[in-house]
Amino acid sequence: MDTKETVLNVLQDLTGSDLSDDLDDNLFENGLLDSMGTVQLLLQLQSELGIEVPVSEFERSEWDTPNKIIANTEEMLK
Amino acid sequence: MAKKLFLIFGPVVFAALLLFALLFSPFKLNHITAKTENKAALALSPNVLKGQVIKESALSHEKFVPFFGSSEFSRFDFSHPSVLATKYNRSYTPFLMGAPGTQSLTHYFQMQLITSQMKNRKAVFVISPQWFVKKGARKDAFGFYYSPLQSTTWLLDRKQNNATDRYAAQRLLDMPSGNANHTIMMALRRVAKGQKITHQQRTYLIYEQRLLQHEDQLFSALKIKNNQRKIDRLTKQLPEHYQLHELNQLAVKQGEKHTTNNRFGIDNRFYARRLRSKEKKFKNFEQNWTYTQSPEFSDFELVLDQFAASDTNVEFIIPPVNEKWSKYTGLSTKMLKQFDQKIRYQLTSQGFTNICDLSDKGDVPYFMQDTIHLGWRGWLAADQAIDPFLTQKQTTPTYHMNNKFYSKEWQNQLKVNN
Amino acid sequence: MLSFTPYENPMYFGILGLGLLPIVIGILCGKRFHWYETLISVFFLILTFGGPKLTQGFALIAYLIYEVLLVWCYTKYRKKNNNTGVFVSAVILAIIPLVIVKLTPAIQNGKQSIIGFLGISYLTFKAVQTIMESRDGVLKAFNPWFFLQFLVFFPTISSGPIDRYRRFKRDYDRVPKQGKYLQLLQKGLHNIFKGFIYKYMLAYVFGTMLLPKLEHQALMAHGLSWSLVGVMYVYSMYLFFDFAGYSLFAVGTSYFMGIETPMNFNSPFKSRNIKDFWNRWHMTLSFWFRDYIYMRLVFFFMKHKVFKSPKTTANVTYILNMTIMGFWHGVTWYYVTYGILHGAALVVNDWWLRYKKSHRGQIPHNKFTEVFATFITFNFVCFTFLLFSGFLNKMIMMK
Repeated sequence: MDTKETVLNVLQDLTGSDLSDDLDDNLFENGLLDSMGTVQLLLQLQSELGIEVPVSEFERSEWDTPNKIIANTEEMLK
Repeated sequence: MAKKLFLIFGPVVFAALLLFALLFSPFKLNHITAKTENKAALALSPNVLKGQVIKESALSHEKFVPFFGSSEFSRFDFSHPSVLATKYNRSYTPFLMGAPGTQSLTHYFQMQLITSQMKNRKAVFVISPQWFVKKGARKDAFGFYYSPLQSTTWLLDRKQNNATDRYAAQRLLDMPSGNANHTIMMALRRVAKGQKITHQQRTYLIYEQRLLQHEDQLFSALKIKNNQRKIDRLTKQLPEHYQLHELNQLAVKQGEKHTTNNRFGIDNRFYARRLRSKEKKFKNFEQNWTYTQSPEFSDFELVLDQFAASDTNVEFIIPPVNEKWSKYTGLSTKMLKQFDQKIRYQLTSQGFTNICDLSDKGDVPYFMQDTIHLGWRGWLAADQAIDPFLTQKQTTPTYHMNNKFYSKEWQNQLKVNN
Repeated sequence: MLSFTPYENPMYFGILGLGLLPIVIGILCGKRFHWYETLISVFFLILTFGGPKLTQGFALIAYLIYEVLLVWCYTKYRKKNNNTGVFVSAVILAIIPLVIVKLTPAIQNGKQSIIGFLGISYLTFKAVQTIMESRDGVLKAFNPWFFLQFLVFFPTISSGPIDRYRRFKRDYDRVPKQGKYLQLLQKGLHNIFKGFIYKYMLAYVFGTMLLPKLEHQALMAHGLSWSLVGVMYVYSMYLFFDFAGYSLFAVGTSYFMGIETPMNFNSPFKSRNIKDFWNRWHMTLSFWFRDYIYMRLVFFFMKHKVFKSPKTTANVTYILNMTIMGFWHGVTWYYVTYGILHGAALVVNDWWLRYKKSHRGQIPHNKFTEVFATFITFNFVCFTFLLFSGFLNKMIMMK
């Protein structure tokens, strides 16, 4: 399973919707993610991919669409 | 870039320059109409008292006579001076200056804005014994009626530095109001020490004064309470022709009607609102009160000095306290008597001889409207002095002022020998 | 000695304009004079904390030395080690001065602590976040001299908005391009003039002209009255326009210095729900609490599986987060109740949104329900502001 798929699966678990067609939607503006969801996302990524994202690293504007989340995760896996 | 900068800041700079020119220009910015003057004469609004432009404009007409006092002016009833003057088309119209909390110091500083209008004129001054408490004028009340325009004008008008100036400057410095503006405070400190204000201070004060005058001109007339309707309603209760006997009967009748819910001869509404629930607390509450030792005596001397400086001929009114009530609260009659002697000495020894002393009328029924304010028959009695004083020719008084009245000894002196 | 509360009168703005002029000219020519920025900051700090407020000035100096040393030591330590105990101690040490200042009036009958000064809580926020970001390893290059500049950045020193170390550093190190800077100047000026309307016109109408009369009437009425309802709305309007006006001055002034201090308010009374409200009201404070308290608590609880369900985790943390915010405002029953109420409202709001989502189709959603939601949110917020104002406390004390 590649990173993109993993991230989308995690997001689907969290938000209850399939986002593979809406990769550039702003998740905070449409109410799918909030602070709580963010922490869950970070923890989930940590357990599934083994990357450690500190809360400070989480700048909302850089993590607000599925595409950005995927890009950031890939960056951290390098 | 220059064009963009101009588009951003041009309007601001332009507006700032315009405002600057408007506020600091030496021109008068408005005109006070006769209607405003009439309204202001009855308004008792703090902005009128604090300011200059309305008082100045009204008092430039001979018919307006300044009535200095405090809360008694707001007790409008049919024998109130403004009502009588209106009804009987007297040659004078009282310009009421006084509100709850205005005392000698407030009057001294607010008079600074109308000194030229007071020159060789007549005035009425109601002295409240209640001002003369141990602590003197209340700081917050003074602040409420103070405006920096009063102090800048006063400072700029100081020619030579005398005991009056030093005392007044020190008193103003005792108040938070006198310390609110840094330059004014420093200038006051110099005057209090007997020095002249510096050249820079003078320049600053001139511009500050202009700014404050313009503020006064632009805004003071906007908020004036309208009491004309009250006066109109009250004039209807009066008989067509002035007849003392008839008016006295009317006063008794009105008094009877309005003082039915208590045994002190106090107006029903006042009693119900302010006293009924707390009546017990007042029993012997005022036993140790004294009006004979107070810095107010020296503050009052400031006022007298101002009257002397502008050759104003003044009728002083000393109201009594409601005797039924004062017996209940235990206020000492002996102390009141001493107060009366002391204040009369301060007045007469310096040449202020027009005194309407009502202090022994506290037991006359319906004389007072409540505990300390003149009412139906009280105002009528005062009118017996006010009307002739203002409508007939008076001999020019000669004043001989004495600086001893600024001393702590005088403030605390209990007895006078005369 | 001249002394000002920031942005209080025309003279302050006059001095401000003159002081900013060299900075503006510098940036327009593509240069930043950091030495001048420091000089002007010190000058304005003296204006704010000098003269009659000198005790506050000394308290500020002592506080700055203490915090800079503390954060400096921690960042040095963090380069070699990462012990949780040391991190927690550093955070506690950083907030101790603030705790003392907030507790003193509660213990000593309203007496103010001598180590307090105007703006201490805003500086504490900046210090704590710097420690936390060092702990997370995202803040690597710590410079004590720069940190001091960040703390005392004068436009925001007394009441925020609360900026972030890394964000501030990006702006501080860079000279904005001319075109961009002209835009900043325009926006800055716009903010300052909007601030004039807010603080000196609208807040004056509500706070100085209307509020005292209504408060007096409400006190005379002893208990519930229409005047009390009036106090509630009028105070809320006053609070908003006064604080938003102040924030606009701070943001506008920052823009002139080429620093894009974040905005503090975004039409808060248009909020559709309470969560929306906290994304629009006193934003830099609420985001600070979100990022440094809420998210961290949630992270901690989830990682250690303290609560079974994420829902419980979120709810407990909402209440904790807002209660801490209440205490931060001051240790009085009404501030704390204000916090707890907002925490509870966030819980209810989350529950409702979940309920609505799972009953899609059964609950109508249209223009009318949106207006109704805004109406309810507005009234709830105003009610909590009435608590916040301390007026109810005054009424109770009168009895």
